Amino acid sequence: MASDNPIASRKVVVHLRATGDAPILKQAKFKIAGTDKFSKVIDFLRRQLHKETLFVYVNSAFSPSPDQLVNDLYDNFGIDGKLVVNYACSMAWG
Amino acid sequence: METEAQKYVWDGAIPLQIHLHDSEVTTLPPPSPALILAPRIGYLPLLSSQLKPFFSDALPPGVDTIWFDYKGLPLKWYIPTGVLFDLLCAEPERPWNLTVHFRGYPGHILIPCDGEDSVKWSYINSLKEAAYIIHGSSKNVMNMSHPDQVELWRSVMNGKLETYNRISSKLKLGIIGDEFSGKPNPSPLKGQQSVNETEATAARKASRVPVRLYLWIVDKDFDDLEEAPNFDRWDQVSYINRPVEFYTEGKYFTLLDAVKSILPEFYPGSLNTTKAESKDEPGIEPENESHPVIKLLRIQGIEPKMEIPFSWVVNNLMNPDYFLHICLYIQAPKPIGT
Repeated sequence: MASDNPIASRKVVVHLRATGDAPILKQAKFKIAGTDKFSKVIDFLRRQLHKETLFVYVNSAFSPSPDQLVNDLYDNFGIDGKLVVNYACSMAWG
Repeated sequence: METEAQKYVWDGAIPLQIHLHDSEVTTLPPPSPALILAPRIGYLPLLSSQLKPFFSDALPPGVDTIWFDYKGLPLKWYIPTGVLFDLLCAEPERPWNLTVHFRGYPGHILIPCDGEDSVKWSYINSLKEAAYIIHGSSKNVMNMSHPDQVELWRSVMNGKLETYNRISSKLKLGIIGDEFSGKPNPSPLKGQQSVNETEATAARKASRVPVRLYLWIVDKDFDDLEEAPNFDRWDQVSYINRPVEFYTEGKYFTLLDAVKSILPEFYPGSLNTTKAESKDEPGIEPENESHPVIKLLRIQGIEPKMEIPFSWVVNNLMNPDYFLHICLYIQAPKPIGT
């Protein structure tokens, strides 16, 4: 039944961009279920970069709360079919 | 500058009765509970400066990290206190009995909090997010001078509405003129040119209102809010962040219209029909045969009528982070895919 609902089953393309001295990932784009929370993106970055402290932003502008749905972030802030997520090892945009 | 309702919101407070968790009590007799008036627009960790001295003698040795629970549910510290109360106490409990902990932070449920700095960071980020929704960019907030940013934050923390209005008006985030109260957007003292510009465009363009909706889908009926079931896990609440878009001129746009536009999955094909009509539409989505019933809609502690103009709600009940926080209990079959 879930496939009947395009929003519920939608995958969102997340584009990860390093900021400052953060290492660049081999794979910068990946797909994630829209019904996942933003915390999943943060956890993924933490694992990939082996860092506990990370600053994660959307559109080089703000850090959303980890509880927000990827679907909502994509609908509100997505650009050219993807959600741009910037990550930094130190605070980039206060 | 401010509206009467805005004053009520800013002066609003929840009487709290705060108990130290049993596992952290090392004294006999145990400390009595702390009674505190917590501002609606404030955040729980900011009460630390009052609570810590109150309970410090009873605490075991160790490092303090404050957190709160209500009936065992750890409370998310970045949700304004008033919103937590509206959401978790369907039938308002006064004083509201909370438990405070200084040890054993539940890091698997709550994001870390390093006191006031974390709360300020969260508030400013929320403000930037709202600015992005309204203007398509967070620049106005990001370009704010450091002293202004500090003063804005202090005004929220200390409930200084006048200061808040003075500083926040520089951000030019006024969303909509409220033709129903006959009051234009609060305008900045300087820069008349840009004010005219904002007003001119606001009249034509669709306004986008940042909304955070806390939705609880109840699957059984209850008549009395006292009988409303409690929830004990955060995943029982859907946290929905969808802006409401509407034109300030033209069709009368109500609070119900706004709820429908946020939750199209509950109101299929209902954007221009009434609830009753959409019920009669045959078999578009069999799962939605029985239409949803709004059991409770609460914003800043009040339960407005669903027919009131949404622009009034926005202009008067918006939180200082420029989000409208709506607590909603809906009785409905679960929509597909959730």
